[in-house]
Amino acid sequence: MSIRSKILAIVTLLAIVGLDVTACNSGTSQETGQGVTYKIGFNSSATGASASLGLPEAKTAEMIQKQINDQGGITGPDGVKHDVKIVIYDDESVADNAVSNVTRLIQEDEAVAVVSTTGSGTTIAHIPVCEENETPCISMASAQPITVNADTGETYRWMFKTPQTNGHAGEWQAAYLKATGVSSVCILYTDDGYGKDCLANFKATAEAAGLEIVYEGAYATSDTEFSAQIAQVQASGCQAVEVGSTPPVASLATVAVHTALPEIPITLGHGVCNQAFIDTAGAAANGTVFPCGKITVLDQVADSDPQKTVLQKYIDDYTAFTNGEPISTFGGHAWDAVEMTLNALESLNDGMSLEEQRTAVRDYLENQIQGWPGIGGVFTMSPADHNGLTKESLLFVTVEDGRWVAFPESEW
Amino acid sequence: MKALWARRNLVNVIAFTVVLAALGAVDIFRPFGLSFSALTGRVVTLDTMIRIGILTIVVVGLNLLMGYAGQVSLGQAGFYALGAYFSGILSTLATRHTILPGITGLWWWPWLMIVVSMILTGGFAYLVGKPILRLKGNYLAMATLGLGVIIHILAGQFPDITGGYDGLTGVPRLSIGSFTLWPMQRYYFLVWGAAIAVIVISLSLVDSRIGRALRAVHTSEVAAEASGVDAEQYKVQALVLSAIFASLAGSLYAHFQGAVSPSPFSFRASVELVVMAAVGGLASTWGAPFGVGLIYVVRDLLKSQLERLLNVRSGEYELIVYGIILVSIMIFMPEGLTASSVQFMQGRRRRHGNIEPQRVQSNGTVEDLGQ
Amino acid sequence: MRQFFRGKIGKIVLATGLVFAAIALCVWLGSRQRLLPQHYVQLTLDGMRGGSIYALMALGFVVVYRVTGVINFAQGEFVMLGAMLCLTIHKLPLPLPPALKLIVAIIAAIVLATLIGAAVERLTIHPARRSPPVTLTIITVGVTITLRAGALLAWGADPYVLPAFSTLALEDHIFRFGSVILQAQTLWIWGTLIVVLVLLYFFLEHTIMGKALRACAVNQRGAQLVGINPGRMSMLSFALAAALGAIGGIVLGPVTRPIYDMGLMLGLKGFVAAIMGGLVSVPGAVVGGLLLGVTENLAAGVTNPTYKSVFAFVILIAILLFRPQGILGGTGQATEEVK
Repeated sequence: MSIRSKILAIVTLLAIVGLDVTACNSGTSQETGQGVTYKIGFNSSATGASASLGLPEAKTAEMIQKQINDQGGITGPDGVKHDVKIVIYDDESVADNAVSNVTRLIQEDEAVAVVSTTGSGTTIAHIPVCEENETPCISMASAQPITVNADTGETYRWMFKTPQTNGHAGEWQAAYLKATGVSSVCILYTDDGYGKDCLANFKATAEAAGLEIVYEGAYATSDTEFSAQIAQVQASGCQAVEVGSTPPVASLATVAVHTALPEIPITLGHGVCNQAFIDTAGAAANGTVFPCGKITVLDQVADSDPQKTVLQKYIDDYTAFTNGEPISTFGGHAWDAVEMTLNALESLNDGMSLEEQRTAVRDYLENQIQGWPGIGGVFTMSPADHNGLTKESLLFVTVEDGRWVAFPESEW
Repeated sequence: MKALWARRNLVNVIAFTVVLAALGAVDIFRPFGLSFSALTGRVVTLDTMIRIGILTIVVVGLNLLMGYAGQVSLGQAGFYALGAYFSGILSTLATRHTILPGITGLWWWPWLMIVVSMILTGGFAYLVGKPILRLKGNYLAMATLGLGVIIHILAGQFPDITGGYDGLTGVPRLSIGSFTLWPMQRYYFLVWGAAIAVIVISLSLVDSRIGRALRAVHTSEVAAEASGVDAEQYKVQALVLSAIFASLAGSLYAHFQGAVSPSPFSFRASVELVVMAAVGGLASTWGAPFGVGLIYVVRDLLKSQLERLLNVRSGEYELIVYGIILVSIMIFMPEGLTASSVQFMQGRRRRHGNIEPQRVQSNGTVEDLGQ
Repeated sequence: MRQFFRGKIGKIVLATGLVFAAIALCVWLGSRQRLLPQHYVQLTLDGMRGGSIYALMALGFVVVYRVTGVINFAQGEFVMLGAMLCLTIHKLPLPLPPALKLIVAIIAAIVLATLIGAAVERLTIHPARRSPPVTLTIITVGVTITLRAGALLAWGADPYVLPAFSTLALEDHIFRFGSVILQAQTLWIWGTLIVVLVLLYFFLEHTIMGKALRACAVNQRGAQLVGINPGRMSMLSFALAAALGAIGGIVLGPVTRPIYDMGLMLGLKGFVAAIMGGLVSVPGAVVGGLLLGVTENLAAGVTNPTYKSVFAFVILIAILLFRPQGILGGTGQATEEVK
């Protein structure tokens, strides 16, 4: 192959890939008495380290897009119809990409609001972009510093999040351990944003409840061997183990603890509430206890619960859309974030500038999301609370024979 | 001959600067409502362009080290991380803990800390370079790989200093006096100004005595030493310089992103840097901006086009195609795109004259088979 | 004094001293974690389990490196492919008894992975065979990216389960000796390593193909002169490396939960093990793998487990700097200019 033909081959390849780049800009705006098309930015970690969380989120966004298209868009209070386009990006679980994607969504795609992203660390990296560009961003990650500035203690103006916080989970875990007479606890956690947030919150609530933390051990999300941590847990002689991780590594850590110490009680955080945890942990999952979003234990939720109909509809829709893929709480976080934004957009009159739309959506999220039943719980936002959930948004469950079972306080 | 070279370089640098300045000016003045990304068919945004500039600085250093001195580094992201973290830590923690009150809030403090980061990173490179550069070829590659991985893991520890896995937040924007180099449209000029400065330094270095010595070391260390070149000295200098460039890029990155976390400095990042250098051409300073740019453009094109053409979520396919492109480039034009294009042009004149010797010179290390 | 430590006896004294110092440091640090003797035993056993996998990976690195001079980054992906292919075939509704089904799945997975390894060599390494090894090494990085992304596409981001060989179920037999535990699968892993070594020895020493491979590793040009086709040997080395990796992935499968990105860290660690063994020696690779597994696990156990991987790479750099010929010795080619 001569040099020339090699170069020709590469150039042709690039040309095919880059085929009519400009064509994708050609108009989508229909001038048939309709208002402007609203764009919602959506960025999740559909690939990379957090893919098992981010993929159901991306699929949920696609599902909602299809539902909106079928309905023919949304209608504002002035009766003007608007198309809604959800622009979906993947940050590959890397903070840099999250920042680039959110910048692109805000500045290039002119999204009214942005839903982003799956990981706590990746979200924290793009906070300055949302704040500086004055665009509402709703995160699907749970760490405290997403909505509250760690240095000043103030709530960010433009940041919101939909998952239940680890603080709520910590309250349940500490109360349970206290009730079962445990006095010393070991914590195993992932050295990522979620794990560290679990550690901080569990420590705070457990020590307040009078439990002694005798060992803290970290591991990486990619770890498959925990022999060093287990040896240190054994040496510390604690009476219960708290595992602060999301699957898959949460399953592996649980199996490791259960294998070495079959009798010890294991509590986990609400990050493990997907079927993958039980499937991969097997029998080791039986007897573990943790707080969970109601979506994973729908059959245990009372019919009178305000979330019941929303939950049922989401599960039916998602199962149909994905041809029966398992439900996860993470898709639910995406549903809450996008649906909240849609509600806010439905409150807008036509003819507002992009800046006005963004401010209006922000104000709506902060002030009008009151007693709003979603997948993650019943949201009540306020200027000081950009999450809007309480401990009651979580249900305490245990695993029996590979199934989730509600485990209310009366049975402890 | 030398004057001719210098003039050609000068022309190139001026042309490059003018084009970039014009591009940057478009986004500031917005003539006819044109923005930077509109010019590129929305493929390259200003955000991408700044990232290309930052990585260009790293890759120019990597080119000096790999292309000219012939020392492979699979841990360059480690030096890049050091720059970002030193800058991030020194410009935020001092303020947070009110060390040197009054001074850390001044506009020149972050600038000073960028210089301090470069000195610290350069010093670190000097210390590790002495022993590590005794290694050759694949062995050196693996030692640098290990170094990079260690820095990456340690960056995620020590939450009180590095912010742990979530990283540092609140890295301040740079400013000169009361003129803030932000929004991005302004930062663009700083980043590309620095990139061009680094390119100029590299170009003049390559044409100097040091450059010739480095090439001699690359071709044969034994022969170079026999003719009086202190090979070890030059190799360490090349490593230190590439580390200083990486540190500068890291600092610029920290002030651009406003936050520093470990994930962009993983082993994968080191590999991508090598890929960018290789695509541009290992022994080609000008290859650096084009190599980095091409990788970014291809990736962003894949992101936007795959989804449209195949109606699939792009992530997985994007990586597959990215891998295939990398393999194809290395198979069909191992000298890199720029070098291959130059040869293509020359080949038209010379009818495929004499490319083989260049290939031997411009590539990585020697074959270590048949020992 | 300096002279003494250069001599053979001096070196042995020095090495013994270092080992004792390391053990003393280990015990002192361990006492601060309140570790008891059984914990050290447990850490060592678990380290030997991980180390056996590293050893299998290291063998793959050594085979490819000796024949082609390439550091095959895709080695870790072969491990992933082995585990993933095996569990996929095992899930197929074949009308076979469970044990036979697992055996079929294992054999099919190894064969498929071997073919993929050969295909990788034909498609990527062979066309670029005239390029220097570092270019080829970068090509294998591209292969790694492609294979991993392909796996994500094929199997998604969730982990899977492979049944334990002894029980054919998710839960394995566990032998308990006091508080020390040993999973049956660990015995399978050790057994597999031994069987693989015996087979490899037989292949390299007593078959024409193996002998040709060795000839090619010793002197490519010489091998060519006696009629050995180095291109075919290169393909054979990749196929063999893929098979070794796949075997490692399959026996490891029941202990961890196979996932699409499991190859990355395993590949790097396997490489460290190969370097510890000198990168060119089969026994070195095995000793390197086991030693790496035990050392990093003990070091992690007595200090902060988060630093486990840091220890592995510190060992890598230390070995490269102070003993580039590997712990067992051999040719010190890392600092020599070889043409």
